[in-house]
Amino acid sequence: MLGTTLIILAVFLAVFAVIAIVDIVTAKKRKEVYRVKSSATAYLMLLPAIILAFLFILLPILYSLGYAFTDYYLLKPNDIKFIDIQNFKQFFAELGERGTLYHAIKNTVIFVVGVVPLQIGLALGLAIFVNRPGKGAKIFKVCFFAPVVISLSVTSYLWLQILSPSETGLLNSILGVFGAEPRDWLRDPNSAMICIIILSAWQGCGYQMLIFLSGLSNIRKELYEAASLDGASAWKKFTTVTWPGLRSTFVYIIITVFIGACRILTQPMLMTGYQDHTVTLSYYMYTQGYTYRWVGYSSAVAFLMTIFIGGVTFLQRHLLREKK
Amino acid sequence: MKKLFRTIVAMLMVVLSLFSLVACGGGNTESDSGEVDTDGNTIVKILFHVDKSSTEGQAYQKRIDAFNLEYKDRKIKASPSFKARSAGASGYETELLNNQVEGTLADIVTFDAPNTASYANSGLLYDISSLIDAETQADFYSLNKYNGKLYGLPIQESSAGFFYNKKIFSAAGINVSGYTVENPWTFDQFKQVCQKLKDYGKIPVDMRIDATKDEMAPYLLYPIIYAAGGSFTSADGYTATGYFNSPQTASGFQFIKDLISAGYTSYSIGATDFFTEKVGMYLSSGWTIPDLDNKYRDYFASRDDWGLLPYPQGSAKASATGSWSFGITANHHPDKSASIELIKYLTSPESSKAITDATGMIPVRKSVNPNYQVGSPEHTLLKQLELTGRERPVTVAYPTFTTSFNQVISGLGTGNVSDLLANATNTLQTEMNRLQQLR
Repeated sequence: MLGTTLIILAVFLAVFAVIAIVDIVTAKKRKEVYRVKSSATAYLMLLPAIILAFLFILLPILYSLGYAFTDYYLLKPNDIKFIDIQNFKQFFAELGERGTLYHAIKNTVIFVVGVVPLQIGLALGLAIFVNRPGKGAKIFKVCFFAPVVISLSVTSYLWLQILSPSETGLLNSILGVFGAEPRDWLRDPNSAMICIIILSAWQGCGYQMLIFLSGLSNIRKELYEAASLDGASAWKKFTTVTWPGLRSTFVYIIITVFIGACRILTQPMLMTGYQDHTVTLSYYMYTQGYTYRWVGYSSAVAFLMTIFIGGVTFLQRHLLREKK
Repeated sequence: MKKLFRTIVAMLMVVLSLFSLVACGGGNTESDSGEVDTDGNTIVKILFHVDKSSTEGQAYQKRIDAFNLEYKDRKIKASPSFKARSAGASGYETELLNNQVEGTLADIVTFDAPNTASYANSGLLYDISSLIDAETQADFYSLNKYNGKLYGLPIQESSAGFFYNKKIFSAAGINVSGYTVENPWTFDQFKQVCQKLKDYGKIPVDMRIDATKDEMAPYLLYPIIYAAGGSFTSADGYTATGYFNSPQTASGFQFIKDLISAGYTSYSIGATDFFTEKVGMYLSSGWTIPDLDNKYRDYFASRDDWGLLPYPQGSAKASATGSWSFGITANHHPDKSASIELIKYLTSPESSKAITDATGMIPVRKSVNPNYQVGSPEHTLLKQLELTGRERPVTVAYPTFTTSFNQVISGLGTGNVSDLLANATNTLQTEMNRLQQLR
């Protein structure tokens, strides 16, 4: 494995070196003395980051792609055979059986459809709410951002207490005051994903709030003043000044929240375990790879998932691009 | 000056790049497992599945220290590391599998008994059949065997049963003194006791049906399926169809569903509800004994306040067995003599007693006479082990068995038993077919 890694690294560095040399030689031919020097320095400074990115991002992706075409079983790492597209055939065969994989995809779609608008909507609302001068706003900013710095594991256990099915569970005891019967929120297929969506949006929206805040700070105050002079209502100001000003921020946020939502794993893993009504595609992939030990198949799932996320992201960028 | 600065920065970048390469490559350094240290000691690396600071971890550490003292002259030194189990991705099993992939497996690892088949089948464990004599093997209550070969020695034995609150039983007019391992209660008698507890206003029993995120529910509940005459897999562990979905297996799961439907148990019983006298009975293993003896003195002042009942029995007899074991890995070090010395030491009668004294579990060696008082909870567990103990299914697809079993238990509240078993059997059989191709 080390030998293969070194060969791939050598190829990668060779490509990088060729690009750098071509750039420098071109600059020399054009007698751009400053560009020659600055290019050489820039490429040298890029080198550590490039190598780290190669080792921790590109290399795992390349290996994963390779494993997707093998029968790699985790307990037999020295007995890996090439099996062409068998893993992909199995993926679609299993999907047709409407088993756990089918539920995993369905739950992931439900989660994405639920959490993306909720989390972004919450983040935008909170950003507009705290985007005001004064000490009070800072306190709110800290409060809203606090869940982001708490680990997802801790958040999940915290919500397990809130959603505890016993009468003494926080939510059940509050609802009990109004005469409601205790409910097993996370075991009930009708409510489990909703609970996971809500907690995920709550946990994540603080981060997007900060990004929206930075976007809001870039909108010139004069535009609001002009709108006020024209007698625009608050809603009109939002639709004609705030929203267009946040467009590029919004595109970035929708893409990152979408990608993050597609990869949901921790919450169902810690809150419900491997159950059909909450299993997600990442959890399915993890279970296939680590619990059932089918690394080859798990890599094929990862590959298909990457293609899907990449495709949707590309589509999002295309649809949300600014028309000239 | 500027030129000099740029040169220095450039050189620094190159050095950093090389450093990052060296640092990243460090993880692949060949393990020194089984190698000799500077003092001439043969190092035996051993990986434990518990936290070092836990009671069990401390017990292991003490035995390792004693071993190192005793084997100092023989130049063998044990080097332990600890990685606690957890539900997430950082658990012990993940560490073990990563070590297998990296080629850095310790010489000895601990593993849960049901994993014997998959670890042995994949070549992770070393066959120690010829290294442990027949007399020693006969002294163990159970052994980690697969296809007739020995792959591990248990650390301690386990059995489970129904802990019950004697004060509540007495107040509810329930007499269970006649229910012993030799004369077990039936499923119907179990339900009758539950009804009386319910009538008395208590939650009758915590069957741990909520513990479906890991091995807990399968470990505690599988004997009920066996006792109902059911089974899970064929003897070779490669067929689930006709076993996991048999009518007898369904009747076992139906018994658990009946308990839920009748309100005798539920998924929402709190973890401490039995200990705070809200629940009459609690299905658990020997590890609960130290808790009842020491932690909940306000509710259970002495052993007169609580007792332990065996599993109810149906057409067959079964109770939970199996715990974690020591196994020698088939790692790169061919000489296993030092490892076998350590494993023999850690499973010796002396170690067995020392470890179980700390954990409250049952000694793994028959020659260890724990002198349990007749009728005591420990005696009930030991008797169960001797008379009705039956191991979990031996199959290379055990991880899938665990998730399938958990999905059935989790679905019993709202689902139909036959539908749940059909799904679980299909999943398990599919996995077995895949593994069959790896054979």
